[in-house]
Amino acid sequence: MKLTLYAFLGIVLVALNGCTDKCKETRTFRQFTPFTLTVAQVRNGIQTEQPRTLASPGKLYTKDGFLFINEIKEGIHVIDNRNPSAPKMVSFLRIPGNGDMAIRNNILYADSYMDLVAFDIRDPQNIRELNRVKDVFPNGQFDGGYWSLNAPQEIINDQRVTYVTQTTQTNCEDGTGGCPNCAMDVWRGGGVFFNASSIQSGSAAVSTNGTGGSMARFALYDNYLYTVSQSDMQLFDIRKPSDPKQGTKVTLGWGIETIFPYKDKLFIGAQSGMHIYDNSNPEKPVRMSTFEHARVCDPVVVHEDKAYVTLRSGSACQGFTNQLEVVDISNLYNPRLLKTYPMKNPHGLGIDFPNLFICEGAYGLKTFNAADALQIDQLDHLEGFHAYDVIPLGKSLLLVGRDGFYQFDYSNPKKLRLLSKIPVQRPFPAS
Amino acid sequence: MNMKKIGYTALWLLCCLGFPVCAQKAPFRPVFTNMTEFGISLGQVRYNVNLATENVEKRQTITAQTFNGVQLRPKLAVGGTVGIDWYTTALLMPVCAGLRYDLAQPGKKNLRVFTSLDTGYGFAWLHEDPTGYETRGGWVISPGLGFRIGRPQNANFILSLSYKRQEAEADKPLMGNDIYKHETRVYNRIAFRLGLSF
Repeated sequence: MKLTLYAFLGIVLVALNGCTDKCKETRTFRQFTPFTLTVAQVRNGIQTEQPRTLASPGKLYTKDGFLFINEIKEGIHVIDNRNPSAPKMVSFLRIPGNGDMAIRNNILYADSYMDLVAFDIRDPQNIRELNRVKDVFPNGQFDGGYWSLNAPQEIINDQRVTYVTQTTQTNCEDGTGGCPNCAMDVWRGGGVFFNASSIQSGSAAVSTNGTGGSMARFALYDNYLYTVSQSDMQLFDIRKPSDPKQGTKVTLGWGIETIFPYKDKLFIGAQSGMHIYDNSNPEKPVRMSTFEHARVCDPVVVHEDKAYVTLRSGSACQGFTNQLEVVDISNLYNPRLLKTYPMKNPHGLGIDFPNLFICEGAYGLKTFNAADALQIDQLDHLEGFHAYDVIPLGKSLLLVGRDGFYQFDYSNPKKLRLLSKIPVQRPFPAS
Repeated sequence: MNMKKIGYTALWLLCCLGFPVCAQKAPFRPVFTNMTEFGISLGQVRYNVNLATENVEKRQTITAQTFNGVQLRPKLAVGGTVGIDWYTTALLMPVCAGLRYDLAQPGKKNLRVFTSLDTGYGFAWLHEDPTGYETRGGWVISPGLGFRIGRPQNANFILSLSYKRQEAEADKPLMGNDIYKHETRVYNRIAFRLGLSF
């Protein structure tokens, strides 16, 4: 009788599952809906508000113990971070269409769709608009959604982003190395980033600049604010910081993502490669060379004569997806690839030599020992949160991602210690 | 045939309890035993199901395994099973604890019916991922039935039919506007194998 029972149990087990492979793919993606708003709505929309929770954090900026976290397209969270273990939300500066920022002395420069706005931030509770350079940015993109200015009609055509999670049954066979879905990625932006300690301002004696992440599109150097759009670099003369004036415009080519000055050079991250500009005449940067690779490019960190470039997925068809590249830039006219390391979905990165930090998107944060460029060892891998961009500040690491803003103590780079977290109320379900 | 005794032992097998319970009487000396099999695993998959389309495909992949253990009692062997399962997009190596139990010897001839149970973890050590993919293995369980042909003291020829449930997962490359893409897989297969035992 018991044998029958055993046989019966076996049959039940088979019958429950059948001999059918069951594969489910869970995918979260962005969906875009077009909408329009007027130029007047944008210009009148600026105000300092009560602090609010993070929802779609973007770029990160820090100066004098204060943190500025961009809320994509909405404005800037101002946070008192003089005690990294207990950061305090101070206020929220509402700026329609804001994505980037830079701070010199007490002046905050921020984009607001087509305009560049200068703010006085001496009193973080009451930030005042000082000046505005109008209609300098004709178009741009936020989180994959494009906007453009229709100047004659004074309207802006934008796209609203929503996040959709779908589960589908698959044939269990995606992953044979073919080209399952030849779509091109829409980049959230790339970057060039340098060791904070090696950042030098041309007029450091009188001015103090903040520190941005590796995804920044704004950079300060000498008497100029450099901003990059998809294809151009727009300079602003800030000899009088409270009153920026539109300067020259340099055409860079397609797919520009980020910018950062290093000594008297400008490193510009683009989808086609990394451009190196000589900036010895800050008013008129001149192209020196381009380190090219197949169509994708993302942030770069530099320490001395090595640049660490991460490439993010998007064009699997070209066999060129997620990896870290170490580039020898001892000859700035002829950058040379030293070695590549596989990654999963690298976004921003930061270096505090020999510690290298790489945000792996939905796959968390990785720390590496980059002492030997030819043998970069992974030290720690923190998972369970989304990591977008980092700023190493000597001892503490600032990290922002879709799940929130984190601060880690990396005095032991093999085991990062969480100091504090500001959570995010996400606009899409957990993935 | 003592059905009752077989039944009790089968129950015991199911529960995977420790073996010393009934090891006291037999004058039998435990010996090393091996069963090595090679065959195909058969399955199917239904996917792309929506109002307009539906696809069903059949799957045939290669499977091999070797069981090494101790013949604790004349009818019972306990040991470990290491195999290789060549799924189209996952090359997995199941490492399992395994049991082999002789259920019957019909007509006292040189034919024995045995049952098997293996469970453990399928590792993706040998799997090579295309760029952007990361495949991981998972839990595996495989009950089965088979014949041994040959005299018990000699090397035997084996024919076996087993069911296998293998779990796995994969991170997939992000395209276009993707933020996250993950696949969970359960391979439910019938495996038909030939082999040798001694």
